[in-house]
Amino acid sequence: MFELAIKIVINGLTSSLVYILMALGFTLIFGIMRVVNFAHGELYMVAAFLVYVLVGSLGWNYYLVVVLAAIAMGLFGAVLERVLFRPFIGRELNGMIMALAISITLQATAFILFGPDEHSVQRPISGVIQLGAVMVPRDRLAVGLIALLILAVFYLFMRYTKVGLAMRAVVQDEEIASIHGVRPKFIHPFAFGLGAMLAGFAGALMAPIYTIYPYMGSQPMLKAFIVVILGGLGSVPGAVLGGVVLGLSESIFATLINTTVATMISFAIVVLILLVKPTGLLGR
Amino acid sequence: MMKIMMQRTLLVLASAIGFVWAASTAAQVDTLKIGVVSALSGPGSEWGLAQDGGMKIAAMEANAKGGLKVGNKTYKIEVISYDDQYKAALSVSAATRLIEQDKVKFVVGPLGSAAVLAVKPLWEKNKIFAIIGAYSEKVLDADTKYSYRGYPTQTEFAGRIVEWLKKNKPALKTVAQIEPNDETGWSSNRLLKGQYDGAGYKIVSSELFERSLKDFQPVLTRVLATKPDIIELGTTPTGTAGLMVRQARELGFKGQFVKIGGPGVPQLVAAAGKEFAEGLITYAAADMTTKQYKDLELQYAKVLKPPMNEFVVYFYDAARMLLDAIQAAGTVDDTDKVRAAFEKMSPYNGIQGTIRLGGMKDYGADHQMLTPVFIGVIKNGEQVIMGRMD
Repeated sequence: MFELAIKIVINGLTSSLVYILMALGFTLIFGIMRVVNFAHGELYMVAAFLVYVLVGSLGWNYYLVVVLAAIAMGLFGAVLERVLFRPFIGRELNGMIMALAISITLQATAFILFGPDEHSVQRPISGVIQLGAVMVPRDRLAVGLIALLILAVFYLFMRYTKVGLAMRAVVQDEEIASIHGVRPKFIHPFAFGLGAMLAGFAGALMAPIYTIYPYMGSQPMLKAFIVVILGGLGSVPGAVLGGVVLGLSESIFATLINTTVATMISFAIVVLILLVKPTGLLGR
Repeated sequence: MMKIMMQRTLLVLASAIGFVWAASTAAQVDTLKIGVVSALSGPGSEWGLAQDGGMKIAAMEANAKGGLKVGNKTYKIEVISYDDQYKAALSVSAATRLIEQDKVKFVVGPLGSAAVLAVKPLWEKNKIFAIIGAYSEKVLDADTKYSYRGYPTQTEFAGRIVEWLKKNKPALKTVAQIEPNDETGWSSNRLLKGQYDGAGYKIVSSELFERSLKDFQPVLTRVLATKPDIIELGTTPTGTAGLMVRQARELGFKGQFVKIGGPGVPQLVAAAGKEFAEGLITYAAADMTTKQYKDLELQYAKVLKPPMNEFVVYFYDAARMLLDAIQAAGTVDDTDKVRAAFEKMSPYNGIQGTIRLGGMKDYGADHQMLTPVFIGVIKNGEQVIMGRMD
């Protein structure tokens, strides 16, 4: 029973970390730009395909490609903000529709270039670590540890750098922040790029774990959305807490009952929490 | 001057007559539209593209010979394909479009059981001749007139594979089943349970998963707690099955994987890894080492992007049989005549052997195409045929 509990916690936490990576980027973009980025899952997907091409076909070093893919997504995100989203600042519905259009375009492009098949990339690490009677796949453990490192760097950046402080100020009140010298025209593309970079990290890290195909971003997008709603739109600590709640609840109920019930219960938890606290666990 | 003008006028007139004559000659090659509605993207698309590819290859070959001669007309075949992403709702929209806008009389698809159950009434009501997929036993019944299932299902071959397993791996006694949570999976779960129970195996676990799921750690944790000798993957899409195989091996499963359901060794091996897929026993639609199969792969590459799934063999043969039936019936409009001609085509010379129409005992109508099937095992990342069932 104890071994089962350990397995459930480990499974839940490794899932949570990836959900948090996705959700943080999503909530950052919303918090600063008030854009519901429905293309977030496709940024995850594009990063995974970059791994497929650079690692799978060209044989580049996997860890180098993870960093490159994340940076590429960051730059791509900044360009998207500047070219496509900036005209819709302040108009949330238009921004959402633009994000949907980008999502469909990226999916279709991937479909045309790579076809509908599910592709696989050789894992950089394989094998298992035995913790007593519990077996933990090394690749998942590696993803979890790298995700933790990324989250730690992100936290330090947001907490202790000028740009991080400026971004937090913009989340609280853009007008007051601009009076204090914060330039939204710099913060917006930076925030979008940073959010996209986090999605890029998630996609690149998960590429060898699962299969890669044009529609692979839909599920992570859905999870990110749930986590962000659960934690509070625009709340970074909320995204972390929401990710942990979702990951653990899914793991518990999927292991003890089945995956369909786990999905239902995770939605039910979200509904209950929103009924009690409509702004989410840590939302304002 | 007058003479020059007359000459010019005659030249223009002759050109115009020649143009009209050429156009009318070209118009004598009519177009026969054949529809495809199937899972052309997402999990399951390996089989959906097989439906699409099989029809497209047969059409391409007919067109290369100058078109399909039906009566005293020749038809260029145009294949119109729609993607239903394995979703019944999208399948219904696509089917409606094929009937009302594209005005087709012949279709291939859908693939998924839920989609076929939703769409088949449309095919039957509108007298659309259809080569359908679906593993569910519910899709064929005594009232089925215009739909023919293009590939054999577990009803046709599972018993033989389970018998082979019993004879060749007698130490294995217990089975855990994992299937997708929809009509295809429920039907497969039921059929395979019946076969395993009948052969004396004990079913220790039966799991259903959502098709979008990729993380099977929780499911497999529960399954492995029942200590099965066999994990039966059934109709799980091949990429997903590969993930299950890998994740189960990483969780410590050392037993036998079996897949008596949709085949696709290359994708499964790519997702699982060669070492983990080693020894997996699978139902195989084709012997991929034959010249006919390799030729078909070359043809497939001309119509769709490789790799080709072995299901193409079924739908290529079914498509050829359909085109031959249209020719024999002498009509592209009267699907009653075409289906009568189609039924007379049995037995038919398929590229792997003889194809028959059967199924009266199991379904109440001879609308099931019965083809040779194979038992394969994965060795060093490749499918090796261990047995053949005609």
